Amino acid sequence: MRLYLLKRLIQIVPTVVMITFVVFLMMQSIPGDPVVALLGDAYTEEDAVKIREAYGLDQPVLVQYFIWLGKLARGDWGISILTGRPVLQDVLVRLPVTLELIVLSMAVALLIAIPAAIIGALRQNTWADYTATSVAMIGVSIPEFFVGVLLLLAFSVGLHGVLPSSGWVYLPGTCPNMVCGVSFWGNMQHVLMPAIALGIGRAAILTRLLRASMLEVIRTEYVTTARAKGLSEGPVILKHAFKNALIPTVTVMGLQVGFLIGGAIVVETLFAMPGLGTFGIDAIIARDYQQVQGFALITALAFVIINLLVDITYTFLDPRIRYA
Amino acid sequence: MANGGDSIQVDVSQPSIGDGALGAAGLAVDLVAARRGESPLVQAMRRLGKSTTALAGLVIVAILVLVAIFADVLAPDSPIASDQTQTFASPSADHPLGTDQLGRDMLSRVIHGARVSLAVGVSSVVFALFLGVPLGMIAGYYGGRLDSVIMRLMDLVLAFPVYLLAIILMIMFTPTAGPIGTIKVVAAIAIVRIPIYARLVRGSVLSIKEKEYIEACRALGVRDPSIFIHHVLPNCLAPIIVTTTLGIATAIIVEATLSFLGLGTQPPTPSWGWDLKANVAFIQANPWLSLFPGLAIFVTVLGFNLFGDGLRDALDPRLK
Repeated sequence: MRLYLLKRLIQIVPTVVMITFVVFLMMQSIPGDPVVALLGDAYTEEDAVKIREAYGLDQPVLVQYFIWLGKLARGDWGISILTGRPVLQDVLVRLPVTLELIVLSMAVALLIAIPAAIIGALRQNTWADYTATSVAMIGVSIPEFFVGVLLLLAFSVGLHGVLPSSGWVYLPGTCPNMVCGVSFWGNMQHVLMPAIALGIGRAAILTRLLRASMLEVIRTEYVTTARAKGLSEGPVILKHAFKNALIPTVTVMGLQVGFLIGGAIVVETLFAMPGLGTFGIDAIIARDYQQVQGFALITALAFVIINLLVDITYTFLDPRIRYA
Repeated sequence: MANGGDSIQVDVSQPSIGDGALGAAGLAVDLVAARRGESPLVQAMRRLGKSTTALAGLVIVAILVLVAIFADVLAPDSPIASDQTQTFASPSADHPLGTDQLGRDMLSRVIHGARVSLAVGVSSVVFALFLGVPLGMIAGYYGGRLDSVIMRLMDLVLAFPVYLLAIILMIMFTPTAGPIGTIKVVAAIAIVRIPIYARLVRGSVLSIKEKEYIEACRALGVRDPSIFIHHVLPNCLAPIIVTTTLGIATAIIVEATLSFLGLGTQPPTPSWGWDLKANVAFIQANPWLSLFPGLAIFVTVLGFNLFGDGLRDALDPRLK
């Protein structure tokens, strides 16, 4: 297992290098020049040359990429051309916001999906099942930002605006500077709607999938055996059926990461949250090469690490799965 | 390495609403139909006709297509002409869904928005199909180095989170208004989705090419293009059709999302995603404005999802 983990961790490197390299090439091919944008009206050829030299933008593209990679190996994520701040610092400030959003949205998804799928599968073709499957169908068809708008209409416009429509209050311990608002309740108020907006679609996909695998599993012989042994329904469903039905679900949860990152961009934009999603989209639009590289890097890392976690989860769900 | 773009393939293995009891019963029906001498296609159509889900989806899609085609006749006003005396009008007889900040009739914008949404949804998937299916077929059929080159390229695209790639592609293309702008959106979404078809088709072709009827074709001296079109393609059509229908739903969401981020269809071309975003800013005072474009997106996606689900059940009863 330890050797396997080590191997997988080493495999992260080529994937991350590949993703950041392609993003780098794509960003370089975008028309327009960030130096022109930075200098604005004060643009002079001399200043432009100086800035290009300072940021290494006068080098060939490939050389620029390897300089970036070399610095990265030493823990330096580069410095943003437009803000002058170190990229890593910005990423670390914004990471907890997005992590909280994604973790809570997955919690929302599981809280809805697990009971809905189990009830749907156990009471197949009853009104409870039809309700669960119909709601799931609606859930997969509704884009995150529209769920967000509906929540805004309900809780920020209606109900005397009980929940704030935008902005952020940091969780204690994650505040990047002296001026930000810090409070647990304030944070919960701000994160609730975004987490639900992002979680609903995931809940729907997981419900459909988990219900299908539950239906398959409860017809297997080992479930019949468990019942024949005289086990009560609770342990049969939770220990014998549910745990085995979880395997394909965990796979899909891993596959959903790509969509979660996109969803985070959309939801953070809608609710004006200072997370990685808004950081990434702003950087891409402003063509801040260094920030975009930082965003691509953290995205690629999240991607491979979550896929690794998915593979490790298998070993807990099914002890027969072993990695040598 | 897998990513979110795979979810469509995962979709294929999901059962749909109200399935369930079929299976053994469905098989019995098939045997009867087979004895009647019906082709698999006729049997599939029969099953499709019996599925309420599929019919509901088909009705929604058909209505939307009609709305998009006859948008000029159906819309009471121009979707882009602004009337500065009528900004933020509440819903009334003149403007059933009210007007936006430029005094444009919301109902007309929602009706015209169907055009961009459907055009992008359908054509990006068709684009992806036309490139992805042949690539997958060639990779699966010839194997070897060609297969490795094609599939590694596909893996490269799939290694990206869908939205990250689509967003960067849109920035590369620079979003613009009008038909050219729409083509750019189509291209960005199509590129992201090509690998899904390539993988799907390659998988089917790998098993089909070992079949005896393909060997028979080769022994008879049938040329490869003919084998592809007449023998391989028809046998991997079912999953392609299902993935295409569900793929349109996904493409519509991606278009709306790009437009919502300001990177898709550009104004003044009416687009649901853009309208939703533009009107969220005024949600406190004019809550109805962002509701209707969102509802339009939701109903459209629901229609394609319902139809796709029903289609999957009809085309491949084994998946039940």
